[in-house]
Amino acid sequence: MIRIAAVGDVHVDKDVVGRYRPALEQLPDVADVLLLAGDLTRHGTAEEAKCVASEFGDLGVPVVTVLGNHDHQCNQAPQVVEVLEGAGITVLEGTSTVLTIGGTRLGVAGVKGFGGGFAGRCASNFGEPEMKAFVGHTEAIAERLGAALRSLDCDVRVALTHYAPVPDTLVGEPLEIYPFLGCYQLGQAIDSAPTALALHGHAHAGTERGMTPGGVRVRNVAHPVIKQAYNVYHLAADSHPVDASVLVGRH
Amino acid sequence: MTVDEYTEAEIQRVLTEDVDIAEQGITVVRREHALILCGEVESEHRRDEVVRRVRELVPGVPVTCDIGIIRAQAPSEVEELS
Ligand SMILES: [Fe+2]
Ligand SMILES: [Fe+2]
Repeated sequence: MIRIAAVGDVHVDKDVVGRYRPALEQLPDVADVLLLAGDLTRHGTAEEAKCVASEFGDLGVPVVTVLGNHDHQCNQAPQVVEVLEGAGITVLEGTSTVLTIGGTRLGVAGVKGFGGGFAGRCASNFGEPEMKAFVGHTEAIAERLGAALRSLDCDVRVALTHYAPVPDTLVGEPLEIYPFLGCYQLGQAIDSAPTALALHGHAHAGTERGMTPGGVRVRNVAHPVIKQAYNVYHLAADSHPVDASVLVGRH
Repeated sequence: MTVDEYTEAEIQRVLTEDVDIAEQGITVVRREHALILCGEVESEHRRDEVVRRVRELVPGVPVTCDIGIIRAQAPSEVEELS
C-alpha cells in the first residue's frame, strides 16, 4: 500500500510561512510522499519560492510538484524551479519520476496543464493566431502528460496537474469559467495509460471527487477545497482505473 | 455610489490583477446598498488587504467581509482507494 499526501494552491509568501509546518511535521508518520498540485506561490518570484522551500522542504519524505499559473506570473519560472529543486523538491513539467516505496514503484507524471474547456463545450484550434496559440498550448501540454504517463515503468501511476482534467471536480465554480479551469485533453491523456489516481488544484471553489471517462479517480486537492494542510490517499500496490464497464449509466 | 455590473467586474479584476492582492477566489455579492465579500484566503493579512482595496474602489458603500482563513491542520482521516 502506498500513502500519498497531497495539497495544491498553498499560495505561500512570507505571511504564510510556518502555518503548514506543524501539520507537515506529522506527515512522515502518515504518508510516503507529498505531491503538490501547483500554485505554490502568489506571484512566482524566487523570494516566494524560498518561502515554499522552507515550508515544504526537509520533510523526511520525497516532495514532488508541478507549477501553477500563479507560479508563472512574474516570468521567473526557471528561478522558481531552481530554488525548489535546490531544496530537494522534484518539479515535473511533462516529465515523470519513480519512487520505490516498500518495494512498490510509484510513478508520478506531471504537467501544469491549461484551460480550454470540456468535451463539446471547449475552445477550438481555429481562427486567430491568439486562439490557436491558446488551444495549441493546451494540446501540447496534454500530449506531454500522456507520453510521460505511458512511458512510465512502475507499479502504480499517478497523474499530477494544476488544471483540472474533468468537470466533475469543478462543481461549485461558475459554469462560465470552466474553460479557464481545465480541459478534457488532460483527462484523455490520463486515460491513455492505466493511471490509478489523478490529482489537481486550481479550482478553489470546486469539489474534491470526480472520475475520468476512463474510470480514473480524480481528486481536487486545492487547499480551499480540502480545508486542511493536506489530504492522505491510500493506494493499493496494484491500483488501476475502475473497470469502465461498471461506469455504464453513470451521469 | 452604487455598485453596478461594471464596478463589480472592475473589483474582480483588481483583486486578481493587483499584484498586492492576486486573489482569484473572492466572490463579490452585490446587495442593494452594500457589498459582501466571500471566499477564503491563506492569511489574515491577505483578508484585510482585500477588504481595504475593495473599500478604496467603492467609497461610501458599506463593505461586509465574510472571508475566511483556510485551516491548515493535519488531517484526521485518510481515503482508501482500492
Ligand atoms: Fe490557486
Ligand atoms: Fe491556479
